[in-house]
Amino acid sequence: MFVTVTLSLLEGFLGTIKLFALTLLLSLPLGLILSFGSMEKLGVIRYPIRFLIWVIRGTPLMLQLLVIYYGPGIFFGVNIWGGSPSGRFTAALVAFVINYSCYFSEIFRGGIQSIPVGQYEAGQVLGMTKKQIFFKVVLLQVIKRIVPPMSNEIITLVKDTSLARVIAVYEIIWNGQAFIKSSGIIWPLFYTGAFYLIFSGLLTLLFGYIEKKLSYFR
Amino acid sequence: MPILEVKDIHKSFDSEVILKGISFSMDAGESVSIIGSSGSGKTTLLRCLNFLETPDEGTITVQGEQIFDAHAPALKPEEIRERRLHFGLVFQQFNLFPQYTALENVCLAPKITSEKPDIKQIEETGRKLLDQMGLSDRMNNYPHQLSGGQQQRVAIARALALKPDILCFDEPTSALDPELTGEVLKVIRGLAEQKTTMIIVTHEMSFARDVSDKVIFMDGGVIVEQGAPDDVINNPKEERTRQFLAGYSGIRK
Repeated sequence: MFVTVTLSLLEGFLGTIKLFALTLLLSLPLGLILSFGSMEKLGVIRYPIRFLIWVIRGTPLMLQLLVIYYGPGIFFGVNIWGGSPSGRFTAALVAFVINYSCYFSEIFRGGIQSIPVGQYEAGQVLGMTKKQIFFKVVLLQVIKRIVPPMSNEIITLVKDTSLARVIAVYEIIWNGQAFIKSSGIIWPLFYTGAFYLIFSGLLTLLFGYIEKKLSYFR
Repeated sequence: MPILEVKDIHKSFDSEVILKGISFSMDAGESVSIIGSSGSGKTTLLRCLNFLETPDEGTITVQGEQIFDAHAPALKPEEIRERRLHFGLVFQQFNLFPQYTALENVCLAPKITSEKPDIKQIEETGRKLLDQMGLSDRMNNYPHQLSGGQQQRVAIARALALKPDILCFDEPTSALDPELTGEVLKVIRGLAEQKTTMIIVTHEMSFARDVSDKVIFMDGGVIVEQGAPDDVINNPKEERTRQFLAGYSGIRK
């Protein structure tokens, strides 16, 4: 039984990892774009983006999942996601990407704005372009500063993927819970915790390594 | 022909007028010190020369070429980049790039801003400059491993690496502990002896008097008095200059 459960949970965990990895892959660049938008001088760009960030950070992710999955069907009469598992997965991915881009954008904004203006000015008087200043001077300093908050947020994402269950996306908790109905046992559900722990443990080690790698400068 | 001619520079921030018509000129190989109390507009003037601020009025001419005119259409970013390279700027707070070693700080801009960088040549020049700054054993240290005085000397080498026509110093020793100012002043003095064209905003009066060819005293956004250091610092004509200098009792005659 233990082997059967472990295999089933591993399969579910694959779904978890997939959602985690794709969310990360898409929301990191999108978050960077949003952070630039939220620092834009033009109000027409800045205000809508700040409004979006406020709404997304101000409402539960679980609610956002439900709105994104059921919303189109309820408000426009078309279920754009379809009823298949892959359609539900896509809906969940969209909700996660929107949610996490907003959180990441605030972390990026904090990191970028914490760089002293003197760094930009030094680059300018040395004849660098804006792009060169960002990529050659500022970026690594920003990365160094945002590693701790990012590691926090990314570890939260690992566990937040379990929320996708509300729109029936197959992930590890879903599979664990299935054993209650099928075999009348609850321990597989508790056992899922071990998977999360091991994975976030690995991430903690990874972020510790990155932090150490970047400790050569201050 | 003067190397630099500044005419009637005005600058306001919001409603506060900082510069009220600054005009001066200097010749190649001269060092000019700008003295005056905080808020007199010295730093803003340097920032205008380096295109970190845009003057509301006035012109800036380098070697006969007018590089800024407040009435001309706004300059494009690439024009600004090209023209500001006539000047170098050493900041009060050094502003070294923390993730690069001393040598990398000096070589970064020459490497990434030239079309076909000769890496070997650039690094060779960088080493020479750091050596000249007395930092030959510090080239591979990161800024946080250096003292303030060493950091400022790296910053001077970094500015020199781009071979500016005029090197500007914005209170280069004001952020340093008193025992470290000497090493930085010594380096600047060395540059003056080599006839490097320099504008130095400073509160070090005896240094200004001993090193510069000309001293400018600014107050309230105007140049109150300018001339030979002996005249301005030892025998000021204007009452305001006298009052200002009275605050510096430590100046040896």
